[in-house]
Amino acid sequence: MTRGSAVGRTIRGSATAVAFALIIVPILIVVITAFSPGDYFEFPPRGLSTRWFVEFFRLKEMRNAFTLSLELALLAATLATIFGTMGALFLARRRGLLAGLLQSLFLAPLVFPTIILGVALLLLYKTIGMPVFPGLLLAHCIIGMPYGFRTVLASAQALDPALEEAGQSLGAGPVRTLFVVTLPLVWQGVVSGWLFAFIVSFGELNTALFLTGPGLTTLPIEIFSYLQFQGSQLVIAAASTLQIALIVVMVTAIERIVGMGRIIRAR
Amino acid sequence: MKRAWAWALLVPPLAMTLLLFVGPLMYLFWVSVHEASPSELYGHAFTLHNYVEVIGDSFYLAIIRRTLGVAAAILGCCLLIGYPVAYFVALQPARRRTYVLLLLLFPLMVSNVVRAYGWVAILGRRGVLNTSLRELGIIDAPLDLLYTTEAVVVGLMTILLPYMVISIANTLSTLDRRYEEAAQALGAGPVRTFLHVTLPLSTPGVASGMLLVFLLTLSAYVTITLLGGPRSKLLVSMIYDGVTAFQWPHAAALAFVLLALALMLTALILAVLRPGRVEGTGR
Repeated sequence: MTRGSAVGRTIRGSATAVAFALIIVPILIVVITAFSPGDYFEFPPRGLSTRWFVEFFRLKEMRNAFTLSLELALLAATLATIFGTMGALFLARRRGLLAGLLQSLFLAPLVFPTIILGVALLLLYKTIGMPVFPGLLLAHCIIGMPYGFRTVLASAQALDPALEEAGQSLGAGPVRTLFVVTLPLVWQGVVSGWLFAFIVSFGELNTALFLTGPGLTTLPIEIFSYLQFQGSQLVIAAASTLQIALIVVMVTAIERIVGMGRIIRAR
Repeated sequence: MKRAWAWALLVPPLAMTLLLFVGPLMYLFWVSVHEASPSELYGHAFTLHNYVEVIGDSFYLAIIRRTLGVAAAILGCCLLIGYPVAYFVALQPARRRTYVLLLLLFPLMVSNVVRAYGWVAILGRRGVLNTSLRELGIIDAPLDLLYTTEAVVVGLMTILLPYMVISIANTLSTLDRRYEEAAQALGAGPVRTFLHVTLPLSTPGVASGMLLVFLLTLSAYVTITLLGGPRSKLLVSMIYDGVTAFQWPHAAALAFVLLALALMLTALILAVLRPGRVEGTGR
């Protein structure tokens, strides 16, 4: 990379300033609005208050949506990571056409238009009579699986095969080798995969849009229907801020556990 | 024993992917080539009518054109703003680069509905922009900024911009400096060096950024609905409307038209940029 001319520097600097403003300002406005004391949207707010957060936890449907999203993200991330880890450990040492095909298949939900997956799953669920919660859980599991798969695959491929062979030559069976040798060595991949799957499930819209049912709604979909049918009440800003706060906690956790370089590469 | 163990690792994730990803899509396709039924999810007779209805109807063709137009505008803006930002990021020292990339990654983790709400708060009739302009005395009556195609473009563009920046920055920061130094030693100015060396070498990042932004634009129903309202519907809105009206074969056909668009445009982007010809960089 060369630093180039002054013109180049000016273009890069101003584009960066504009881009960060466009990306960050809408999020900041939501967070600041959430602390406003008034009844209606007003920016900047006239004071500071937590009344909309109190209101959020007083509204039953909001509270339920928040707990459902949390439960769903915890379970879906765990299932997705287990399945993704299995696939990754199977493929880590395999080459060839079939291995390549399987890898693309496991990564496919990452780039596939999720809205189509949502429609397809709703159709299937309607045909077989699937209840709402397990249906949502399985959908988020499929969407989260590529994250666990990818992070564990990267860790497992960087692993020295001699270590696993040593475990087996010392008499450990494949199951013991997995739990005593392999998993402790790839755990950072497992953990960051889990955290990514959690974050994705917690904010997911495109399948939840179709798969949530009456009385059983995730937080993002609850926010969406409020915005669509009841106007932008300020309790939505509080709900959004809680969504953001949880992500901040998760990102900090990833940073503490596995370091930031890995987060960037995992994406 | 070892063989059985390997199968035990493969079968659960494979079964899951086949049952909940490949299978449902095949079933959706099956439904899309059957006629509608008033009582069942779909009728018994095979038909291509659902596809003919979409491709042969000027209403749907206009929607497809608008979808492609919006996607092109978003891609263009993302590339125009994203490339210089990625260049800026790639020039930072390694440690600071990680921080900047993290700052770009964080908004991607916030739910799109929250980020779209931020734009509603800015562009609405009582939003930040209209109130500021009125207080400054520039306008008398609030402008209708929300529920326009432009609002969709601006909102989605900023929501997806980090993908473009991160993709390009990752390629640019692994680029071998000696290529650019060689070009300049041979007498090329900064502009020529950029156009003939840096830009072609960064095509893998540009291609993956464009693909991500394009594919995510196609299925961004919530953002499109909140910012575009009922008048700026795109193809994805038609799919949703079809599902809520229980027109399953029709909605299924629309979904596969969307998928076909996604595949065609993916092929086009890859054919034009040919990221594979750059060796040693990118994925």
